[in-house]
Amino acid sequence: MEHIILFAGPMGAGKTTAIRTLSDIPVVATEASNSDRAAADKATTTVALDYGEIGVSDEEKVRLYGIPGQRRFDFMWRILRDRAEGMLLLIHNDAPDPLGSMREFLIEFGDLCDRGGVAVGVTRTDVRPGLIVTDYTDFLEQERPDLMAPVMAVDPRDRGNMELLLMSLIANIEMRALYREVPA
Amino acid sequence: MKLKHVAPHKDPDVVRLGTAALREMTELSSSLRHATVLTDDGFEVVGVPAHAADGRLASMASSIQALTEGVANELAIGPSSYVIIASETGHVIQLRIPGQQLVLAALFDGDETLGKALSTARIAAEKFAAALTSR
Amino acid sequence: MSAESGLVAGSRPAVTAPPELSGWAGAATAIHAIQQMTTPMVLNLDIEGHAITIDFAYNAFAGDLPLADLPAYPRTVLVETRTQDLDAAPEIELPGRSLDSLLWLIGYHAFGDEPAPWLVEGHRYRLRRWPSLGELSLSLDQVRMTAMLGNAFATSAELAAAAHTPPADARRLVNGFSTVGILRRSAGAPPLVEAVPDAGEPHPATGLFSRLREKWGR
Repeated sequence: MEHIILFAGPMGAGKTTAIRTLSDIPVVATEASNSDRAAADKATTTVALDYGEIGVSDEEKVRLYGIPGQRRFDFMWRILRDRAEGMLLLIHNDAPDPLGSMREFLIEFGDLCDRGGVAVGVTRTDVRPGLIVTDYTDFLEQERPDLMAPVMAVDPRDRGNMELLLMSLIANIEMRALYREVPA
Repeated sequence: MKLKHVAPHKDPDVVRLGTAALREMTELSSSLRHATVLTDDGFEVVGVPAHAADGRLASMASSIQALTEGVANELAIGPSSYVIIASETGHVIQLRIPGQQLVLAALFDGDETLGKALSTARIAAEKFAAALTSR
Repeated sequence: MSAESGLVAGSRPAVTAPPELSGWAGAATAIHAIQQMTTPMVLNLDIEGHAITIDFAYNAFAGDLPLADLPAYPRTVLVETRTQDLDAAPEIELPGRSLDSLLWLIGYHAFGDEPAPWLVEGHRYRLRRWPSLGELSLSLDQVRMTAMLGNAFATSAELAAAAHTPPADARRLVNGFSTVGILRRSAGAPPLVEAVPDAGEPHPATGLFSRLREKWGR
């Protein structure tokens, strides 16, 4: 049995790092030198996908796929989103427009959202403390009151943070399926 | 000599030399439909004919190049030499510009033999690399 | 800040907790009353000599103690509320500390194993948003109950039964979320009912969450 979880979000949010933190295997990364330092001040960027795994048992694994953050690779988003059970959406708090970025990805991955399959991790909250997590939850409540997504501040290097975020996503997916016939 | 530390797709020298290399390709092979030079992270440096694929081929080719090199690395079979996508009405050949963080991707129609297409692409890549090195 | 559905919103006089509400109960009752108001309010708490100021207009608080050092069952909590002018400057230095974590702590401990006095027996509750998860230090049992409340209306008894937890744990969870102000209330929602899995599909309640939990020993 396999489960596919996507890691989505803008460039620089920490998707590759988060997969490395959770994966039981060395991560297969497709990173290239970043030509566009104005967009994000990092040396490399993901150009196809990152791949990691969590081995639940001999017969069950969770496959972790990190998608490239830039829109010019959105063909990879389409390829992977149809296969995914859920998505961890990582948004960095010091992005130019973190709430706008979140909205963009929620629209792009609307089908996953409709199935309860999204949890939001806000990274770098220590770098830009102006926005706090409840700003994201309040924004979601106004824009997508039907969504009911877990939201938390995370450090993608912190295993405890990432395990909790992933578990909250899985709990949400399972409970949505368990109570799916109950109207909101 | 490696590229100067300016993004290649913004370096007029690189664009000029790339354009020359791709124009030579069109003279070598009448079956060439489109060719592009792209950065490793998917920006188009130059394309002939211009605007033929709206930059999408550059993004997709960078993904393919990265996945290909990842597979070769994983299997420990040495660096990837070239990639061929063979389809009903055309072939895409892509290969790295030797010594550079640049890739050449070219679409030939089905009339061209794979061998000729690969040879044309290789010659263009090597000439471009030599021109960059001797700047 | 929103009122729970079904309650009449409007301006009410400032509230001070009656002396018989000991520990956090007075603070929780005052917080709940403030959340029904449209007037901007400030709440000052003195917890055995340690001060906390909550400015509800900015959904933030300031205090001299880390939350982890606040007593779960203080002997005395002095409560003072004040109305604010609409255009008044914030009472605390912004951005302040996120309110979810403080309100959760207060509501979770305020009433022991009993339901908060404003919760009506027989009414069902459902989240209108998730709490700020990382700040609340929830156990995985609590995460699971939170996910249930995010997707269905339930009484605390139904929640406990569905989650296979003691009823008191579910009551405390509902108390906590109600004090945070993130529950919707319904008098007419149907009883909590689980969907029947499609043929061949595993039951969601015995799914990946349980197996991952076991793998990670949490």
